Amino acid sequence: MKQVYLDYQSAKPVDPRVIEGMSKYLNEAFGNPSALHQVGDVATEALEESRKSIAKFINADEDEIIFTSGATEAINMGIIGYALRNKKKGNQIIMSEIEHISIHNIAKHLERLGFEISKVPVDQYGRINLRKLERRITDQTILITVGMASNEIGTIQPINEIGKLAAEKGIAFHSDAVAAEGLVPIDVKKDNINLMALSSNDIYGPRGLGIMYMQKKYRINPIIIGGGQERGLRSGSEDIPGIVGMKLAAEIMNKEMDKEVKRFKGYRDRMIKQILEEVPDSYLNGHPIERLASNAHFRFDGIEGESILLSFKDLNISVSTGSACTSKTLEPSHTLIATGLLHEEAHGSLQLTTGRFNTDEDIDIVLEAVPKVVSRLRDMSPIYKKK
Amino acid sequence: MKSTKYSEKVLDHFRNPRNVGTLEGDDVAVGKVGNPTCGDIMEVYIRIDGEKITDAKFRTFGCGSAIATTSMTTEMVKGMTLDEAMKLTRQDVAEELDGLPPIKMHCSNLAADALHEAITNFRRGRGEHVDEVEMTSIPEPGCVVGQDEFLNKGVWLGVNDPSEFKDLRTLILHSGDESVELAIDLTEQTDRVILLTPEKTVMTTPELEKRLEESNVKLLTESKLLEIRGEFEVEKVLIFNIDEDEEYELFVDAVVIIE
Repeated sequence: MKQVYLDYQSAKPVDPRVIEGMSKYLNEAFGNPSALHQVGDVATEALEESRKSIAKFINADEDEIIFTSGATEAINMGIIGYALRNKKKGNQIIMSEIEHISIHNIAKHLERLGFEISKVPVDQYGRINLRKLERRITDQTILITVGMASNEIGTIQPINEIGKLAAEKGIAFHSDAVAAEGLVPIDVKKDNINLMALSSNDIYGPRGLGIMYMQKKYRINPIIIGGGQERGLRSGSEDIPGIVGMKLAAEIMNKEMDKEVKRFKGYRDRMIKQILEEVPDSYLNGHPIERLASNAHFRFDGIEGESILLSFKDLNISVSTGSACTSKTLEPSHTLIATGLLHEEAHGSLQLTTGRFNTDEDIDIVLEAVPKVVSRLRDMSPIYKKK
Repeated sequence: MKSTKYSEKVLDHFRNPRNVGTLEGDDVAVGKVGNPTCGDIMEVYIRIDGEKITDAKFRTFGCGSAIATTSMTTEMVKGMTLDEAMKLTRQDVAEELDGLPPIKMHCSNLAADALHEAITNFRRGRGEHVDEVEMTSIPEPGCVVGQDEFLNKGVWLGVNDPSEFKDLRTLILHSGDESVELAIDLTEQTDRVILLTPEKTVMTTPELEKRLEESNVKLLTESKLLEIRGEFEVEKVLIFNIDEDEEYELFVDAVVIIE
């Protein structure tokens, strides 16, 4: 049976062109950029070329890119590093209710360190309310962090307006761009972003690599201390093969994104239209227009997400859900709850995210399966009532 | 162990559940456990001839293990006496399925409880003495924290112009037919209207009941509003689920309390 993968938001395969380009840095050109000999010079050149290329991908300058071991580290560095460096200026940090779980956990950590966290609610489509954000700003606010798009429901935030507001108030603006990268153009200058996290895998590069972008006049305290690599901000010998991989991934993305996004939109709009039409009592989670091209997120009355996921597993289709039964904490998705859903509604959700290697046939297969799976589970559900 | 890493037997019962459905008749007893908040609801139906269970059926809302354990329970109890069935434990059901992931042992393995409830209901109906199960105490209704603080900042004591509720996630406290009618009317302004009542159903006229059922109003029964929360204006509410004895937050933009 054909394997259908519709969970690109959780992991992506590395593009074969990237693997080909990075492989020589695993053995042939294995040097350490800190070494002053010729072997080291080859590595230094690869490192700095990559920095330039990735800077171009987000319209930053090359000395604003710091390589990390992934987006989680970049987010820790950007938020905790900035908070610790600037705690004399104030102790309040504003974030949205639908940030990635890693930022919610960083917020808990910062609260224990004495910072105050204010969370801005979102509307029923998951969009941040700018008026509510502005009202939360005090003379103690040092940082605003709002992700570019939701990794779960795909809602795109009004980043330009938030950046403008932060700049007017003289507050640093951090954005987790992981869910959005490769799907919407990123321009840190135009959007007044001061700190940002990106992951390599989310643009089909190797895992275990990411960057923190930091605008020139901004300062952070490093989280990882050591031999002083990356201007002392992120010590540890650079992962040159990974870095070259991310560079190649960014270059491919620069060239192919427009076309690719158009293709994903076709998949997405087809899935949304057909599922809402064919499955009774089904709803779209997230924003109807301001949403990532790759994201289709549904909920179905009367059934539970893990059952949906298991049913798809038997059909060789990989999908995701916001149901509590699949999470580590047995709590439903905080994102779905923030849009105003009840726990029982959040349980019946299905997340379909497409990517580079999907085909029309994949979409055909999933569209044929969804109504069948939903109706089978509803037939044995005591709480599903046909309207 | 991954939460979805199940034994072959569990997967078999999930894929081909035995005895899905309901039973009817004077010799049938029903037991129901769980709630949609926790993610699992199980109904077990048994047909009883004297002291013997002759048939069993089930319906389940829940994850893979919830479906598999109820299916297995109905298989196991057929032919048992009521006393034997009362001794069947969650552990027995899990063992018969070659085990369950530890995280699923509680909430998704309540089928035995549903079975015991069915038997208890049946025995009580026959007039036999049954040990009373302790009732959860229902707290006395009190004033809602935040009602005055957020008055006109998302809390409404009456509605003159429904269009002011355009696209607002609105929570309405059930207080007579007027509130039911308002809830139905507001669905024309916003697709999120929640009607909250501490009762098991919304008590109203048959005509309104029918309209309510056909509407998009979301009902929150056996629930109480404890607190209204937000910064400067209504942003969320704290709800108490009476049946489950549990509190949780719900994000809303407006709360209507008609006194």
